[in-house]
Amino acid sequence: MEIKLLSKGYKKNEQFYNDFLNDTIESNDDYFSDETVYIKAAPDFPIYMAKRSEEVRKQLFLEAFETVGNHYLGSNRELHFDEQFCHSLLVLKKRDFLLREYPEIKDSITNFNNIVLKNFDWENYIYKTVIGAEYITDLVEDEATRKHYYEVIVDNLDLFNYMIKYEVFRNKQFVFNILSIVDELGLSSVLKKKITDRDDLGDDVRVGRQVLLEFNKSYPVVMSPMLEKEELKEIFMEYLGYYVNVAELEILV
Amino acid sequence: MIYKKDANFPYPVLTNTSNSYESGGFTLSVDLKENTDNYRFDIEYEVESEFLQRLLARKQAQLFLIIQSKDNKFFKLQPDERAIEIAKSRLSINTRTSIQMSIQATTDISFRDNEDINDFYREFKDDIVVPKHALLGFSNTVIFEGSSTKPFDLFERKIDATLKSDIKVELGSETIVIHYKNEDLQFAGMPMSGTLNNPYIYMGLQKALHRFATNPDYGDDGHVYLDDVELPTDQLDAKLYRLMKAKMVYELDVDSLDEVIYKISDRVIEKYATAVKGLEASGD
Repeated sequence: MEIKLLSKGYKKNEQFYNDFLNDTIESNDDYFSDETVYIKAAPDFPIYMAKRSEEVRKQLFLEAFETVGNHYLGSNRELHFDEQFCHSLLVLKKRDFLLREYPEIKDSITNFNNIVLKNFDWENYIYKTVIGAEYITDLVEDEATRKHYYEVIVDNLDLFNYMIKYEVFRNKQFVFNILSIVDELGLSSVLKKKITDRDDLGDDVRVGRQVLLEFNKSYPVVMSPMLEKEELKEIFMEYLGYYVNVAELEILV
Repeated sequence: MIYKKDANFPYPVLTNTSNSYESGGFTLSVDLKENTDNYRFDIEYEVESEFLQRLLARKQAQLFLIIQSKDNKFFKLQPDERAIEIAKSRLSINTRTSIQMSIQATTDISFRDNEDINDFYREFKDDIVVPKHALLGFSNTVIFEGSSTKPFDLFERKIDATLKSDIKVELGSETIVIHYKNEDLQFAGMPMSGTLNNPYIYMGLQKALHRFATNPDYGDDGHVYLDDVELPTDQLDAKLYRLMKAKMVYELDVDSLDEVIYKISDRVIEKYATAVKGLEASGD
């Protein structure tokens, strides 16, 4: 499949939005750079999971992880991790799919920008999917186990977001180790809990984020991203103990 | 994560810039090669401390190679390992890619036998114990920025009829953009029209260099010593940085911007003046 790459200037552009709705982008050379890329296949997958119920959101994520993991990660990373490519693919090849699955795009350019042309960073659902799918497919062979880990990501999305947002944690092995520890020890609900008795920590603090914050503060005296899982687990429990009574959790370490 | 700052460690750390070790440092050089599917980094490094070399040989310390682009990758290196290969599907070089080596303690380390540290620390080295998992040293950072075939042009010209001024100089993410209200203002169609635009080039350089000089990441109070600055992350600043280095500019100062422009701009004003004189001589 041939995909022409958009040149800069298409973002936050009212005309571009109207041309998308009228299906007249592809015929307008002004929108494109001279570059063209080829990819083998580009099957549809959910690209936006906000404002859905928890159950629906989980299903959408699982579908996205599997499709991206199976079909998109073989290209050069320059491509599947590139914003311009991602937006070009969406507006050129996924128009019908987008209008069908996300009809709110038709309501306003704000929705269009937020769903289709969203910045390709940790807040973008495609970015989350690409990085999650890459980490899990690389580290897990077995289909069923992969699916299980995808579920762990969705069940601990706040923690996952926090890890891929910060440079020090954005690492395959570390993200996987933390997810494994949370999964093994059944810590998901504890980590999501709000900390209410600590006015010094600011608003909306959650146990999980605070534990990661402790890892962040201690780097590089504790070079956590490089640690083996068992070593990491010990320190994880130590930091968790700063915020909850670990003895009461009845978990085995 | 790549570590660049000379942070305040409570114990001596071997780096090329800190003086907690008596002499020497931790140098890394990397050669990037590629085939269709993979990147290969051939590495050479030197840990200039016998104490740390001993720890590495005894596996009380571990060497890591860190490759950071969109995310971080860590590779445990054996002391004789000199190359790392990564699939192109897992690493992007087009965005800025930084590489560093670090040494991590794998057990608590007493500094009692460390003869390599400076006098200050030597006095109480018997009391220094660095905990397991801690950073013992880090190398310089080596940076790659994609294929070298991509142009590094500094300027872009654009026409924008909606401008509220005749021209507008804007600092873009990779270029200095000169917006013209209409094509006429570019002297389009006139002989030497390119050269006639040189005053705008000058203005663009002034604006970009002023921003560079006053960026607190590079220097203080509008004064930058280029040898103290690492290659900037900002693409436009990186181009200016390379250009200044190539033209042997060592200092940038808000009061001396014009001198720097003179050094890096290949006589834009002289050429402009010659062009104008040429037009005058040719009649009209």
